[in-house]
Amino acid sequence: MTEVDAAEVRRAMEYYYERGWTDGLPVVPVTESYLAEFVATTSRDPDEVIIPMPHLNRNLTVRLAALNAALAGCLPEYLPVVLAAWDAFLLDGMVTRSIWQSTTGTAPFVVVYGPVRQRIGLNSRGNVWGSGFRANATIGRAIRLGAINGLGLKPHVFDQATQGTPAKYSCCIAEDEEDSPWASLAADNGIGPDDSAVSATVIRSVLHIEARHTTAPEQLAADFADSLCRTGALVRPQATGYVVLNPEHARLLDKHCWSKDDFRTAMVERGWRTYRDLAAAGKEALAIGTGWRLPADHPDARPHEPPEDRDAPVQLISSLDAIQIVVAGAPNAGVSSIVETFSLPGRAPAMVKVEEK
Amino acid sequence: MERAGIPAVSLCTDAFRITAEAMAKQMGFPGYRYVVLPHPVASRTEEEITEMVRNALPDVIRVLGAGLTYQGSAEVAPS
Repeated sequence: MTEVDAAEVRRAMEYYYERGWTDGLPVVPVTESYLAEFVATTSRDPDEVIIPMPHLNRNLTVRLAALNAALAGCLPEYLPVVLAAWDAFLLDGMVTRSIWQSTTGTAPFVVVYGPVRQRIGLNSRGNVWGSGFRANATIGRAIRLGAINGLGLKPHVFDQATQGTPAKYSCCIAEDEEDSPWASLAADNGIGPDDSAVSATVIRSVLHIEARHTTAPEQLAADFADSLCRTGALVRPQATGYVVLNPEHARLLDKHCWSKDDFRTAMVERGWRTYRDLAAAGKEALAIGTGWRLPADHPDARPHEPPEDRDAPVQLISSLDAIQIVVAGAPNAGVSSIVETFSLPGRAPAMVKVEEK
Repeated sequence: MERAGIPAVSLCTDAFRITAEAMAKQMGFPGYRYVVLPHPVASRTEEEITEMVRNALPDVIRVLGAGLTYQGSAEVAPS
């Protein structure tokens, strides 16, 4: 590249900053012809609305999703995955309920399944939450830039996140189906083996679970349930999350003939706190209207009789649907994670097939 | 509601002023009048909330009676 070209590239980058079209990091300059390469990967009408946001007078179209994928650094062939992710967000329902305007500050979370993972080089193994992989980094970023530029959710204005989360830059992983002893989450939800799919939802924290030396499935279930039920995360009555098991933990469970549902059941059985523990954090009652957790003596608290036994369990993980399990990460240590989701509880994951042209 | 002729007043705390004004502009009513309350709400006692509402009541009534105000009106500033 000559010196003159480099200066042009810098000028283009600065232009995008001046227009406020970035997430703080530089974006890839996009021309009409480059955008056309993206749009050519889908049979969908570029003007099709994929996320309607009537209360903001905004619509995210296929073209806007493609433009932001290009800005994010995606290759054109990633677009079908990005579009499936947006469809999954619509199905999940929280984005169109204005969750990204909320003070909670949730991030988009995308999981990819099926043969498209290998075709576009999505990482499902070591450092799965970390940086270093173009497809993961840019597909996650395409969603965030689509929210900022397409839906107009700029921080300090319509995005009112109190603190947000680092996952807002980008949060896209793939399931390691090859190293999992079980069928993938997509297969569990009706996706065929030759098809690719995306599940999407909104999340708060991603928590490390360090359980390196255990050989007992029950101990793993105790660790995961305890973390998902931490009082600091409780705002709603119940806790929900994705369990992202590294292959070593998944194989340990499988060795003891535990299925994914066995592990979910074990987490539900351990998914409670005592009334006393909740009261110590001022979260033993539920608010009239919102149902959010607050102290029993708060004026908005629904009247209730405290249990006679303050050490009686209050169920926080209410059903198997509150937990979704995927396998990802390197099989090199007993380190897994929990993703604190913020979608509506008690539902199957929002899963959408990738439509490749 | 105000477009339909029903008197209404929006209330928000000072922490949300930027968003409130962006929302008014987005909906085609730059300078829309609303009542600003001191932040926070969630962590105040019942007595503090009552006092806050009592203090805001004259503003609420004033904005409620003013009809739909927006850009072009002489009274465009949020109260």
